[in-house]
Amino acid sequence: MVHVYNCHPFASQHIVPTDQEPGLVCCGGDALFVVSAAGCKVEAYRMQGEDCPLICRFSTMGTVHRILYSQIGDYLVTIEEKNGSTYLRAYTNWRYQASERTRVGVRLLGHFLRVPSLCGAPKEQMEIIEMPLSEPPQCMACCALTGDLLVGCTRSLVVFGLKRQELGERLVVLDFEMLVVLHIHNWSPSDVALCAGYVALQTELEVLVVKLERMEKRHPPPEDCTPIPSPEPQSPHESDDFFMFPKHLELLGAESKDCGVSVTLEGTGAELGSSMALTYVLYRRFAPDFFRGCSSVHSAHSLHTLYTLSMLTCSLPLCAGNCEGGREPVCVFCFFSLPGAGYMYSLHNPVQLLSTYQYPEKTHEAALCDQFLYVITRNALQCFSVRCSAVAARAGDPYIDTTMKACPPATMEVCALRIQLFIGLRSLCHDGNHIVLITAVDSESKVETGSTTRRTICRKTSRSKQVCESGYGWNLYVITTVPTLQLYTEMVEYSRRYEQTLSHNSLHLLSEAHLLVRSSLLSLRGGEEGDRAQLQNAFRESCAQLGDCFSRLDRRDCHLALPYYKMSGLSVTEVIQRNVARSGDSTSVTDYGKGFLFFLKHSLYEETMEDLSEETANTVLDIFSQAEPAQLPHVVTSPFMVKADPACVLEHLEQLEVSGAPAVTLTLCKSAQALRLGNMQQYCQQMEQHSEMLQVFGFIEEPKLLFQGRGSSVTPTLFAQHLQHTQVGLLVAAMVALHENSKVKLEEADLFFQELCKDCVDRQSPYLLVDFWEALLVASSQDSIIQELLFRLASVYINRITRRDCTGITALKTAEDLINSCFHYGQPYPWVSILTHLSHCSVAPDNHQEDLHKLQSLLCGPTLDISSVLPLLEQLPDTDGAGVSVYVLCATRLGQLESSLERLLEHCPEAVIPYAHHQLHSHMLTLWWQKLFPELCKRARVPSEKGSVLLTALKETVKVVAMELSPLEFLELLPDDGSAHFFLPHLLECSLRHSQSHLTTHIMESC
Amino acid sequence: CTGMSRVYVMADKSTLLKVILLGDGGVGKSSLMNRYVSNKFDTHLFHTIGVEFLNKELEVDGRRVTLQIWDTAGQERFRSLRTPFYRGSDCCLLTFSVDDSQSFLNLNLWRKEFVYYADVKEPESFPFVILGNKIDVSGRQVAKEEAQRWCCENGGHPYFETSAKDATNIVEAFEEVARRVIASDDKQEPLLSTHTVELRRKSRSDPSCC
Repeated sequence: MVHVYNCHPFASQHIVPTDQEPGLVCCGGDALFVVSAAGCKVEAYRMQGEDCPLICRFSTMGTVHRILYSQIGDYLVTIEEKNGSTYLRAYTNWRYQASERTRVGVRLLGHFLRVPSLCGAPKEQMEIIEMPLSEPPQCMACCALTGDLLVGCTRSLVVFGLKRQELGERLVVLDFEMLVVLHIHNWSPSDVALCAGYVALQTELEVLVVKLERMEKRHPPPEDCTPIPSPEPQSPHESDDFFMFPKHLELLGAESKDCGVSVTLEGTGAELGSSMALTYVLYRRFAPDFFRGCSSVHSAHSLHTLYTLSMLTCSLPLCAGNCEGGREPVCVFCFFSLPGAGYMYSLHNPVQLLSTYQYPEKTHEAALCDQFLYVITRNALQCFSVRCSAVAARAGDPYIDTTMKACPPATMEVCALRIQLFIGLRSLCHDGNHIVLITAVDSESKVETGSTTRRTICRKTSRSKQVCESGYGWNLYVITTVPTLQLYTEMVEYSRRYEQTLSHNSLHLLSEAHLLVRSSLLSLRGGEEGDRAQLQNAFRESCAQLGDCFSRLDRRDCHLALPYYKMSGLSVTEVIQRNVARSGDSTSVTDYGKGFLFFLKHSLYEETMEDLSEETANTVLDIFSQAEPAQLPHVVTSPFMVKADPACVLEHLEQLEVSGAPAVTLTLCKSAQALRLGNMQQYCQQMEQHSEMLQVFGFIEEPKLLFQGRGSSVTPTLFAQHLQHTQVGLLVAAMVALHENSKVKLEEADLFFQELCKDCVDRQSPYLLVDFWEALLVASSQDSIIQELLFRLASVYINRITRRDCTGITALKTAEDLINSCFHYGQPYPWVSILTHLSHCSVAPDNHQEDLHKLQSLLCGPTLDISSVLPLLEQLPDTDGAGVSVYVLCATRLGQLESSLERLLEHCPEAVIPYAHHQLHSHMLTLWWQKLFPELCKRARVPSEKGSVLLTALKETVKVVAMELSPLEFLELLPDDGSAHFFLPHLLECSLRHSQSHLTTHIMESC
Repeated sequence: CTGMSRVYVMADKSTLLKVILLGDGGVGKSSLMNRYVSNKFDTHLFHTIGVEFLNKELEVDGRRVTLQIWDTAGQERFRSLRTPFYRGSDCCLLTFSVDDSQSFLNLNLWRKEFVYYADVKEPESFPFVILGNKIDVSGRQVAKEEAQRWCCENGGHPYFETSAKDATNIVEAFEEVARRVIASDDKQEPLLSTHTVELRRKSRSDPSCC
């Protein structure tokens, strides 16, 4: 179904004062070029203004068969015939031809003289550049971005690059350079189009689009690049015995390579051409329409228009090269049209059919621009919408189609905005805000049109008069289109008429209007800041209207209200006002649309927005009480609702409670509100309703009860502050639970506690934060954070032991608790306690002892990476038992037993033997005699206050060594100066034990 | 923003006549053209570089025609710039200066160059017109009879003695050009009598444009 809206895109029409009957017309750059019907004279008119003044008039060098204007380079290109030969020529600097008596320069392409001595001062004269071709040219096209020229011949296509050279302020010398030749087998294009490297060509019923790309020279050319003298491609048109009816066929992207049309590239030696590659993009074939009673395939049912169009975006970085304004085209489109239907394809990834235009009657010609498609039938100029801006908006913008941004879909149905009647339309072209039409009434059409014509005359009296007055039966019109904003306003007003009855039509019109403004913004060039500001205002207004539409309509895509409202720049308060005002006259629940509620919820829960005023916040409460009461606990905890009246909130929550909603979160919400009111009695009453365990679940349900914001802007709530002083265990447990349920990140939790304890002495790692880390370490099963937590805790413990903290604050968990409940805290080795007890810090506060215990326990545990802790030890003195215990523990864990033994002998010989018993076994057993024994012997000789301790240790060591070694080995070990009576008993025991064991072995063997 | 449209009413007949001015550098080709088209004369005219043309509409024997007069650079170094545009000429004006005998002797070379590059199939019947310019200058080196003899021996071409400076014989010469072309077309008309639309078509067989 084609929507037809009776909008007014056409503002006014003027008649161009040509003397002779116009043959060909083309336009661009605000100029209209008319080739007289005799074909050898071109008249250029200015299209702005009422009277279309003549700019200049000049003769061509032959009879013009085709004419085309390129805005880039401001040149005209013609296919001309003279004395039976066909020529391709470009007319440059034509604006200098104001006087017909000026000489015109002519040269072949590439023959521009660059030597200043030859040229003298650059001449301000028109120059014609002739481009020799090996086949007669048939059709041509210019790239609107580069000014490059594509020429279609019978068996080949030639691409010419436009070269420009500035010669002073106003004068530019143009030249062309043949870039590449495309050979086509068995295919002769009737029309071609060129845009940003995309080459489109069509025959009567086929369209092929290929893309030319520059290649890195190092790569071998793809197979397409080399002409293969392969067997002729099988064409479905040809068969010896049968005539095959070609079927409809559409091949998109890579698969279009199999279309049967072979295109091969031939470089021309030009720098660019030698590194070009070709890819197939699109192929479409139509079956001849025999069923409409057209006797001939030709003209009656063949493609009549081929266009390529590019759309630019400002969001991309500037590109080098001669793209206009230095912007890379983001999207390229291809449009082609049969008399009955037109097809618009997007050529960017993926290649896809965007829109099909089903014309109400047979069309003659079409013209495409980035906002509209214009087509002419015999008696009407029709204006259709296009979807280019919907595609362009999506290209290169990662935020489109998210909760951030939205745009009407590119596949949305197109519509006819206007069908304007004219008599005897023959030809159509378009430039900027002008449409040029040639009408001609001949006797044949007068007879044929019959009643239609009569009706037209009745309605358009003034126009038909003009036709009569001109007297020739032909007219050349310039139609001015209305400014985008005017049409936009009309469409918006029009949509209001649909608003009450046909909401979906209203949405469609608003979407059309939105795309119109979008495309206008996209095609804005620099230096139009005033226009830009106006268009941006319209754009925001349009977003707001679409937001309204989606927020009210009961559609599956009602969530689009959110991105549209966001793009509109309206504050949440304004959006609420818009929607409340609309449903103000009624109190029905259904008046708040799903889209609006979605927007409201998302804004309250996920976004940054302004704090709602008390009045608005209370309105929001009313809205949710009516529409979705279950959301109330979440709504009231939103940070933007802080100004809501707590009494009012409590009232709403109590209503909800009465209706039997799930309890814990609700109760917590009520507690929070009671706290705000300062009603401690009610607060306590609410807090006693559920166990702490259940309350933790409540917090998981709604974390905003404890903190608000995300990332670096996490702030604890009043509720959390209160819990810190009253139920710190609950607070820590809740945060651990939130972390384990991925409701809060570790960094956020850190920030939360730091913020809570910002008045504490130790701002970096306050006790509450350490409590949290310890509790999290007990609970967590995420390996990645366990190492992080272990390191942090070790660091905190070491720091506190070093600084001998005595804040008097008791940690939530004792070392004993942690050892019992947490796998990562190990049971401290027995010798550690000797060190700790003997240390001089026995007067240290309890929490110092606790921290030392926790650190020792961590060092004895299985998980902590000891080497990571080493750098932290630097600050820790090794003069007391505590320090020594930590150093020795670390060294021991790292396998450095010898140095540990030395350190112990030095600082605390009492612990040496327990240490040796605990650590020196299996392969470390040898250290008893290799390290400990000699060390003890050495140290025992030196008289000291620890002499007796050392001697006792030596005795114990000798006892062990005697157990382990053979008598001979033991003997060798004894020092030369040792007193025999000290060692003798041990030697005796050793030999006895040894012979005993020998004896036993013998007995065993003899048995 | 390019627009293109197709012919729906084809021109039935082209009255555009391409006339090319050839001759040595400095013989006054540009001055002849300027005098004829603009009726102006400038003693200090620059050398022509490459090829330039001007259009002049006139009526000859009741027929309206447009003469497209092509002025070329006579100097040898500009040869490659001018020769590609000989093709499609309806008439060739060979020009020399009567005070420079070398320029007269070079007429043969110019004729040959034109016939070669214009790809003229029947040089004998091609309309040439010979102009002896600068008759206002004293110290004449080429006699009128000598020039007439050359014209006679080389196909019976019309000869005009002109002065661009004094505007002598200019209009007459160009009108003769127009007459010659029309006559030459009319002569060929019976050969192409079936192609009524293509009255002006020459009997050239090679339509290639390179």
